[in-house]
Amino acid sequence: MVSIRSISSDPGSLSPNDLPWIIEHREDRCTLCGKCAAVCPVNTLKLTYMRKRMPKIVLSSTERGSSYKTFVGIRQNTDVGRRCIGCGSCAMVCPNEAIHPTHNKTDRYRFQNTKGGEAPKRGGRRNEPGPTLLDKISFNRISMLTDPALDAGRHEFSMNTLLGRVLPPEEFIRRQTTGEWIPPVREIFPFIIGSMSFGALSPNMWLGLLQGVAYCNEVLGIPVVMATGEGGCPPWVLKSPFLKYIILQIASGYFGWDEIIRAIPEMQCDPAAIEIKYGQGAKPGDGGLLMWYKVSKLIARLRGVPEGVDLPSPPVHQTLYSIEESVMKMIQTMSMAFNFKVPVYPKISGSNSAKSVLNNLVRNPYAGALMIDGIDGGTGAAYNVSMDATGHPIASNLRECYLDLCAQGKQNEIPLFAAGGVGKNGNITQNGMALIMLGASGVHMGKFIMQSAAGCLGNEQNRCNVCNLGICPKGITSQNPKIYRRLDPDRVAERVAETFMSIQTEMKKVMAPLGRSQSLPIGMSDALGIGDKDAAERLNIRYVC
Amino acid sequence: MSKAIIVKGLDENGQRISSKDFEELIQQAFAKSKNLKLETYGQHNVAGRLKSEGKQVSITIDGPCGQRLGSMGMPGTRIVCNNSASDDVGYLNIGAEITVKGDATNGVCNAMAEGKVYIGGSIGARGLTMTKWNPDYQRPELWVLGSTGDSFAEFNCGGIAVVCGIEAKNPANILGYRPCIGMVGGWIYYRGKIDNSYAKNNVKAIIPDDEQWQWLMDRMPNYLKEIGRPKLLKKLSKRSEWSMLNTIAPQERALMFSGPMPMAEFKRKIWNPGFGGGDPIRDLAPGLDRSPIGMVETGDLRRKKPFWANRDKAAPCAYYCPVHIPTIDRLRLLREGKEAEAYQMLMEYTPLPASVCGAVCPNLCMQNCSRQIVDEKIDVQMLGRAAREAKAPKAAKSLKKKVAIIGGGPGGMNAAWQLARHGVEAHIFEKDTQLGGKLAQVIPWERLPKAIWDSEIARFMSVPNIKVNFGVNMTKEKFAKLKKDYDHVIVAVGTHQPRTIPFPGHERVIPALDFLKEAKSAKPPKIGKQVVIIGAGNVGCDVACEAYRVGAEEVILVDIQKPLAFGKEKAAAEALGATFKWPVQTKEVTKDGLIDAAGHLIPAQTVIISIGDVPALKFLPDTVEVITVGGAGWVKCDATGLTSDQKISAVGDVERPGLATNALGAGKNTAEAIVARFKGEEYKPFAKDLIAQCNLTPAHYLPLTTASTAEQEAERCMSCGTCRDCHLCETICPTQAISRQKLPDDSYRYISDDSKCIACGFCADTCPCGIWVLQPF
Repeated sequence: MVSIRSISSDPGSLSPNDLPWIIEHREDRCTLCGKCAAVCPVNTLKLTYMRKRMPKIVLSSTERGSSYKTFVGIRQNTDVGRRCIGCGSCAMVCPNEAIHPTHNKTDRYRFQNTKGGEAPKRGGRRNEPGPTLLDKISFNRISMLTDPALDAGRHEFSMNTLLGRVLPPEEFIRRQTTGEWIPPVREIFPFIIGSMSFGALSPNMWLGLLQGVAYCNEVLGIPVVMATGEGGCPPWVLKSPFLKYIILQIASGYFGWDEIIRAIPEMQCDPAAIEIKYGQGAKPGDGGLLMWYKVSKLIARLRGVPEGVDLPSPPVHQTLYSIEESVMKMIQTMSMAFNFKVPVYPKISGSNSAKSVLNNLVRNPYAGALMIDGIDGGTGAAYNVSMDATGHPIASNLRECYLDLCAQGKQNEIPLFAAGGVGKNGNITQNGMALIMLGASGVHMGKFIMQSAAGCLGNEQNRCNVCNLGICPKGITSQNPKIYRRLDPDRVAERVAETFMSIQTEMKKVMAPLGRSQSLPIGMSDALGIGDKDAAERLNIRYVC
Repeated sequence: MSKAIIVKGLDENGQRISSKDFEELIQQAFAKSKNLKLETYGQHNVAGRLKSEGKQVSITIDGPCGQRLGSMGMPGTRIVCNNSASDDVGYLNIGAEITVKGDATNGVCNAMAEGKVYIGGSIGARGLTMTKWNPDYQRPELWVLGSTGDSFAEFNCGGIAVVCGIEAKNPANILGYRPCIGMVGGWIYYRGKIDNSYAKNNVKAIIPDDEQWQWLMDRMPNYLKEIGRPKLLKKLSKRSEWSMLNTIAPQERALMFSGPMPMAEFKRKIWNPGFGGGDPIRDLAPGLDRSPIGMVETGDLRRKKPFWANRDKAAPCAYYCPVHIPTIDRLRLLREGKEAEAYQMLMEYTPLPASVCGAVCPNLCMQNCSRQIVDEKIDVQMLGRAAREAKAPKAAKSLKKKVAIIGGGPGGMNAAWQLARHGVEAHIFEKDTQLGGKLAQVIPWERLPKAIWDSEIARFMSVPNIKVNFGVNMTKEKFAKLKKDYDHVIVAVGTHQPRTIPFPGHERVIPALDFLKEAKSAKPPKIGKQVVIIGAGNVGCDVACEAYRVGAEEVILVDIQKPLAFGKEKAAAEALGATFKWPVQTKEVTKDGLIDAAGHLIPAQTVIISIGDVPALKFLPDTVEVITVGGAGWVKCDATGLTSDQKISAVGDVERPGLATNALGAGKNTAEAIVARFKGEEYKPFAKDLIAQCNLTPAHYLPLTTASTAEQEAERCMSCGTCRDCHLCETICPTQAISRQKLPDDSYRYISDDSKCIACGFCADTCPCGIWVLQPF
């Protein structure tokens, strides 16, 4: 036994300097109001009493001994389980700017995050800071004297995209004249709020997003749609006129689909589309995961599961055995559910095998689109190793799929949607437009909209990233009303509106110099350039320097 | 007016003159006359830059006209084009009056700042664009008889247009598609149909007021005269046919458009009605309040809350002491000035505080004393010795029960003491002629001062409920009778049979127990000058000390493993010169000494073996289950000392060898269990958890260099887990939520007001004793 006077060292013992985030506290500024410690989501902050010895060391004096001074400061707990996550809530509530976390690039926590044999999990996105490939793409074909100049501020632009199977003109006319079935196609805004479930997101966040989406459509005239994720959809929403702005997702967990089917007879309108999730960029080959912390009474009720249990979705749909069968069976069932009036498309993880899926879809007359989610996609909960190292970057994956369609002459028939790190560094429109010009008909964004509309604190240096634990300081991914009520859904809705207004303006600022105003520049890769020869070659775009 | 000079656009050979040369010809002619007739042949930029110097300049254009007619026209210049004109008529014009009898194509008046352009037909796209107006000059004017093309008046900053709708090229839409984008100044009179595609955040449609109408009518005759259509005046004077597009000032725009619909309005008008007028998850979670709250909240919106958990956890002293003596309470009573009570309280736990706590016990309580984080542990020996004079506690009301206790060692004594205290008659049956077992028989008086011992034995014997019978050799028969005659029997005979090893010469070896008993008796044994002790534990050390005392000169302790001796016993032996030798396995003992496994001799005249003792249990009935460990039988007991025979308990070494304190603790535990049984109550042994050291706040205490009286020790105590009423929590609480509440029984508690507490945890972080804990809720 180590004497209590000594200090024991365990393999997992960490000093404050070993932690990924180090609290800096200025005692001279602190008013000891307690707010930082009250708000800290991981209870790492504590008022600490420290004793200082001041020996009497004046040589000329014969008096010896020591006096002591006790002082207080806010310090962090160095337990692995209670480490600072760097969210900065303390700094947010501090009245005196006396406290904030700083990032430590040389932490040793990363070697200790396997307590109890649990492989590390988190929420967020691949921890790869710095500019992404998409950030490096520039729009280089500027129409000045070669084409009519357009003014982004003054001219009218048509910027919407199509979601659904677009028939070749002759086939469209033929079917129209014979009265045959014509696949449903939606005209939507090309920036889509990607799949985040009611459960992954708090009720205030999820409904705030939908409220903002409804506002964009009904007030601003921007036809934004959002995807639900696989947590189902509240029945009142299913029966509301806002269902038409929602892409309902069906995934291997089938959570909430009983409520959707129950609501079908009472629906006022059709959903925007049905997304069949086969894979996800953040954790390819792994199903959804809602950790028990977040399965509240409300979520349990909506999903039809017990309260407080882990809800992993299997990596695959359990009744599907082959790619052909998957595509046939699922797309047909889902199309039929809504009388073949709603576009149905699969969502897959970015992968070397994406083209195989695509070619199956091309042969399937009911397939409405293909959505590919790249490695930089975010999630509410995944194993670090899945998030950081598994998957395929979106740019080249999307590009090769698009060029494959071009080779078949089908590029205008089956739209591709891309996701995975779009807007990772804030350049949402630039990233999205780059993907569109590489061949996407639209892009999905998840993390960006959380950051933009709700102030998500996470970053690629593992800041916060506790979405999985239900303690989100902003109330975005918590199911605890004491936390998610911090998030005002009206404010989220306002921010959604502001975000899309801004994206719309930026899209014009990208399109106008290209001389495009009347159609989205899908596949207009001659306008793109990149200062990276290998990437230019891979993407078949111009190398510029 | 001077005579007109004709400038031809074709040279003598009928070839077109370039715009550059034509301009030079114009300038030459202009030097001679202010009246020019230009027979253009598609030359561009003609009739501009002609400085009039106060005279009227008259330019007439015949022939096909090039682009930018009247470009950079100057005030005083009057240009009449008898045909139609090409693009950009009046480009950058700053004052010329330009009449085009026919049509003009795109870009009429582009960037014009002053002057007038009269068009006798229609114009193309982007007329009156980028048009400026400097308030020091006249507003530029554009008059069009027919219609305009698309994108009319874009970015117009002050120009006035009049579009008459006569013989319009596009009668269905005389202002073209999306006029007035970015228009920030000027206004447009128009007469005829438009498609309402004008930029509504730049201009608004109005009916001309009197002044505006007057302005139009004042100038209309001149315009019609200029284009040679005076007869149209009547047709164009019908006020009801005219409308205007007028610029919206930025200030006005701010009032007109409050931006997108406020979210509150959207929620009221569109969002809520979409769900039948209520929260969209009211069916899933009835009554769920989702209204916004802040980051730092009080009451039920906190995620955790503080609890004042006084005495919920055990201090290390009480936890580790086998008797669970709460030293912190003793010290608290001392701090409160209740010295007598402090020592009296100790009497409730042990009859031998001065002898055991104060002398022989290694003080397990203090091995984990929290004070060691600051400086030194509390001196509990001093506290124990100070209890020597305390009076035996008064007995409770008699329970009319009697218990027989076999053996008057520490285990049996405390069992008797506790039973007596609770009103039970305790009859001790002791084999020896004195109480105390090995404490009295073998512990050297150096370590257990005789005066202290005698006084504590006297106090023990003075207790009325305790009866002691000495010299009783227990047998099966006697035991059976005791079991029959008494309500319960406690076996506390200890271990008094020395353990030996049958190596050759073992009969020469003296068991430690016998040696110590003899050494402590009136007739000490005779021993050799060289002594070897087999077994180097603490008892071995006691043996060594006693050997020196009775005449040994050299004592060697041998052991087959690293000696287990520690603490004061070992220090005492070493101080006298004893040495330790290991590993040594005894092969044989001869008259010369001990021969080890390797055959080496350790010379000794006396060899003593000290490898422990075992119980002698022949008197026990078969109903008492005995387990054999290490070749000896030990009584099997439950947690309260009860054996397999429900009327027989066992305490002390007979169950498990240990310290005198362990025996004292077992005696108390068993006695209390028996009392509870007599009373028909449930017995709960000591079960508090140890307080976590990290919950204490040692920084509140300053290290002391000098120790101390009992009072000083009391001050040093950190009172782990028990509130010391210091008010620090009350002081530190940032929201004044904590207060001290006096209770009717004169005790107190601290409470936290939920309506003020923000759950910062400062109370828990500050509490020196670890009383406040924050629990999630």
